[in-house]
Amino acid sequence: MTTAPFTTVAVEPFGDSAVMVTVPHLDQAVRRSAIVAFRNRFLAHRPHGVLDVVSGLESLLVEFDPLRTAPEQMEYAVRLLARLPDDWSERPRTVREFAVPVVFDEETGPDLAAVAEEVGLDPDELVEAIAKSTFTIALLGAAMAPMMDGLGLPRPVRRRAEPRTDVAPGALMIAGDNAIIQPFPGPTGWRVVGRTPHTVVDISRPDPVSFGTGDVVRFVPVTRDEAAALDAGFLLPVGVSL
Amino acid sequence: MTTAITSATKTVALECTDAGWITTFQDLGRRDTERRGVPTGGAADQHSAVVANLLVGNPRGATLIENLGGELALVPDADVLVAVTGARARVTIGGAPVGSWSPLVVPAGQEVRVHAEVGRGTRTYLAVHGTLAAQTLLGSTAPDARMGFGQVITRGSRVLLETGFRGFPRRYFEPPLFRLPVPVPRFDEGPWVVDVVASHGIHTIPGIREVIEDSEYVVTPRSNHVGLRLDGPVLHPDTGAEIVSHGVPVGALQIPHADELIVLGRYRSLTAGYPIVGVTARDCLPLLGQAGPGQRLRFRWTDHESAVRRLARREAEVRALEHAVAEAFAALGFKTPRGLAVSGAPLPGNT
Repeated sequence: MTTAPFTTVAVEPFGDSAVMVTVPHLDQAVRRSAIVAFRNRFLAHRPHGVLDVVSGLESLLVEFDPLRTAPEQMEYAVRLLARLPDDWSERPRTVREFAVPVVFDEETGPDLAAVAEEVGLDPDELVEAIAKSTFTIALLGAAMAPMMDGLGLPRPVRRRAEPRTDVAPGALMIAGDNAIIQPFPGPTGWRVVGRTPHTVVDISRPDPVSFGTGDVVRFVPVTRDEAAALDAGFLLPVGVSL
Repeated sequence: MTTAITSATKTVALECTDAGWITTFQDLGRRDTERRGVPTGGAADQHSAVVANLLVGNPRGATLIENLGGELALVPDADVLVAVTGARARVTIGGAPVGSWSPLVVPAGQEVRVHAEVGRGTRTYLAVHGTLAAQTLLGSTAPDARMGFGQVITRGSRVLLETGFRGFPRRYFEPPLFRLPVPVPRFDEGPWVVDVVASHGIHTIPGIREVIEDSEYVVTPRSNHVGLRLDGPVLHPDTGAEIVSHGVPVGALQIPHADELIVLGRYRSLTAGYPIVGVTARDCLPLLGQAGPGQRLRFRWTDHESAVRRLARREAEVRALEHAVAEAFAALGFKTPRGLAVSGAPLPGNT
């Protein structure tokens, strides 16, 4: 990971007990990687009075107890942390690797054909492009859904004009150059292209997921029969690298 | 008189004889899970939940029971100490009316019944001295419907409690045992006034400050724990400048593309695309947690200083109750949790 240009960090009050931190930069990729690196640094130091942080794609919402600290103090702490020299202790932890089997067909991927047409590929080429992409988990979305960057397609994928109301758990969904796996049944505006037989979030486990931000994901196309034969349970990594 | 009030804990079963519309286990929510996609959740009216727990000598964040709509009734198989707070409610024990916002002894086999008045808040909280047996998700018993963690208590459920309470050695019809300084919120009949701190998005919609200040909004039935959806006048930004997914504080006032105002609740997730024009002052969040369909709301812009001053005042009241309870219960030889001692944490600065 490269050293992020933290010197330009921006801090803005948001209500009486939060501030929003962003790293202004012309390049979107820099803004996004810098805020992840800053979040890791911030959590490693955790200034007094911080209650929780919420990661956005290009921002960090810092929630604090206003009776123990104030926005000015929080801004000061953020700026101090941003100026700290790079420190080995906050380097990203080991990266877990996932190979996620996915069934891509008309039933599991009702948007497959439409997305293929939209980006100028045929459905098989689309599946191939997804399988060739290396994804990185950018953040955990609603209900711990892994939100990934790295979809390599000729152009970004649009969201559905009208959201689907009930998408099955395990659905692999894409939008823009992102992918996400639906952990629980529910609505979505993302395009549904396949489904994994694995359980990605299991609330009966003390830690309901096996992945975190920075982990690497690849999708492996399998047939329906192969998926059934896998007897896939809780999704676990296939490897760990430094 | 101080003998045999508490000793080793035992397990008591509370049979739910009425659950109303929805009754769940509840606490103050999750900590440090937001960045993993799980909202804090927890009691919509945190003030009432905290006070209910304090009144029975529990820690502020102990698991309790939240009821939304209708009647909640429980029958314990041993004497228990309970307190009911939240929305205005009629409370009875064995059919006899008793007071809410006060510690109450429910004798074994008697029914405690809570009937919320319509239109004076929506959620009641019932705390019981001891530890309720409930499953946790990421360290909290608060439900998270989105993750299939319902925590629902239905009619016929048996709720188990670990408690050291052995009953007070006094008669049922003696005057109230406690006279505690309880900060009881008022759920008025007219519109409720909610303080809001302006945020960045207010500059993207010229005139929105005045519109929100001058208008009355009504909570619609499409509201839920993710957000209150309000009918009332709004304005929209002229430009469709892109707003990428970002976190938002609980109580944020969001203007979606439709003509409505949304106040985000404790189960909100990341938001994108819609301007946030302000954030409810933390002190007013419990009030919003009690607003049900048909409730009229007015918004009043405030600054950070005033918002925090009001929060500090409320915290001082809660702290005073905490100390009074600790003293009263200690005088009765009644065990309250560690950290409630009078020599506990200092009062927050009232600046």
